[in-house]
Amino acid sequence: MIAVQAKRSHTIERIAVWVLRAAATFVIVAIAALLIYLCFEGSKTFTVDHLPIWQFLFTSDFDPTANKGGAAIFIVGTIVVTLFALCIGGPFGIAVGAFLSEIAPPRMAGILKPAIEVLVGIPSVVYGWLGLRLLVPFLREHTSSASGFGLAAAGIVLSIMILPTVISLSEDAFRSLPGALREGSMALGSTRWQTIVRVLLPSASSGLSVALILGMARAIGETLAVQMVLGNATQFANGLFAPTAALTTEIVIDMPGATQGSFLEHELFSMALFLLLMAMALILLVRFVLRKRV
Amino acid sequence: MAVVATTTVSEPRIVADAGVRRRRFVDGLATVILWGLGASVILMLAAFVIYLFYLGASAISWQFLTGSPEETTAGGGIGPEIYNSFYILILTLIFTVPIALAAGVYLQEYAKPGMFRTIVQFSAESLATVPSIVMGLFGLLVFVYYFHWGFSALGGAVTLTLLNLPALMRVTQEALSSVPDSLREASMGLGATRWQTIYRTVIPSAIGRMTTGIVLIAGRIFGETAALIFTAGLSVSANHPYELNPMRSAETLAIHLWYTHSESIVPDVDRIGNGSALVLLVMVLIFNVSARVAGRALTKRFTGRSS
Repeated sequence: MIAVQAKRSHTIERIAVWVLRAAATFVIVAIAALLIYLCFEGSKTFTVDHLPIWQFLFTSDFDPTANKGGAAIFIVGTIVVTLFALCIGGPFGIAVGAFLSEIAPPRMAGILKPAIEVLVGIPSVVYGWLGLRLLVPFLREHTSSASGFGLAAAGIVLSIMILPTVISLSEDAFRSLPGALREGSMALGSTRWQTIVRVLLPSASSGLSVALILGMARAIGETLAVQMVLGNATQFANGLFAPTAALTTEIVIDMPGATQGSFLEHELFSMALFLLLMAMALILLVRFVLRKRV
Repeated sequence: MAVVATTTVSEPRIVADAGVRRRRFVDGLATVILWGLGASVILMLAAFVIYLFYLGASAISWQFLTGSPEETTAGGGIGPEIYNSFYILILTLIFTVPIALAAGVYLQEYAKPGMFRTIVQFSAESLATVPSIVMGLFGLLVFVYYFHWGFSALGGAVTLTLLNLPALMRVTQEALSSVPDSLREASMGLGATRWQTIYRTVIPSAIGRMTTGIVLIAGRIFGETAALIFTAGLSVSANHPYELNPMRSAETLAIHLWYTHSESIVPDVDRIGNGSALVLLVMVLIFNVSARVAGRALTKRFTGRSS
């Protein structure tokens, strides 16, 4: 009787392991399929339409009807908007992360953390809508910008969107530091601020880099919020307030009109592939940063 | 005879020289600024919420919440869009939750450190960074072009499954890792197999945290857009707005907000946008509160501990 039962639980055990492993394998299959499909589709611009890769990367002559596929405007747009967001959201996020880890009493953290979680949950379009109703009119009134749409609007919206990522990861980075660092610094007569800036900040640098990199990864792929306020003009931005375009915005605007197999469709898939490779590069960078720490 | 102390002992005094005073001032100033930055995050959220209510409150009516959208004239509602959002959310959770739980349990409880585990972890991390729009294009390739499903709720839900799987796996892993090893050892010591231990001891202890994570992610799925534009489509079902069939196009509320603003020609874009944005915000708030309430209740129910 006991033997039968033991045998039964042994069988269940083996089935369970098998099912669980299948689920884990599914994750590998998913990312592999995604990479293969996008590499295949995204390289058609270069293999089927014979556009040289350097033209895709470094020229800005974008006219899909004439098979001209320079994507430099969009690539630069994505990079500049992302860096803009990082310049505001990065220091702000790290400061709030330090505040949460080192200064905030439990009651304050008890309000701030749920607030951050709500900020994570607010959908991209709602941020876009807020940007449209609040920020764009403000920029139109108070800056040189004629329409209010442009680089600055998109950068500011994005900086708010990456805040939760940067805050919670930098808080983790500060929290993971041993207490002895703080005690040692305080015992030598440092104030709390000196401890944060001279001791904790350098010690947490790899964790903080990860926070910034993952904030960037979030900003690079953001689509609709950016599309709603960036202005979507196929031109390089010649100032902080000028409208421009990014990879994601171009894809979302042009894809509905692109017929299957056309040059435009191939071009857009190439942009998506480039976007994916940028995101992957950032993940590898995170791995590299974390490995160096050990 | 009283002994009169004649020697005066000089009290040890720390002389606050200019340097110390400056450092204290800087420290105080920095503290104030950091408090201000922390508070500004809360104030920012409060401002967003108040502003969205201010904009949207007048747009909300029973007719708006349940009515059908209009293509060219004013007065359209968002009823089918709300229905579609929930429809896709539930479909996505049906796919995502079992796979993510299983994969998370495998990684946390079974997998020994080694090649396979490293690859799975790295795949999950990579999947987590795939931009939403890129995932949408992948869905377009696979479900619309290759499987010939057209724009469908099912294609959208599977795309969202891929997008949210890594986050849900991480939630599972974190919840499981918070369960103390003594519970596992006690269970195994009583002769339970590993699966029995996980199923009867570890998962009930972790269920509260898992639920919190799942509901928070559900809130994100509800508002997802870029991945759905090219998979679930930009229109509600042509046959019947509240169709159950997963193979029909299914425009969600978040997409409707974007579409109305950027493509549509209805004259009351602002009203629809304001109303939809408010509904989306309220849904996010509901998801956040219920995540906490449900998580706490389940933890208490299954472990007797309060959170």
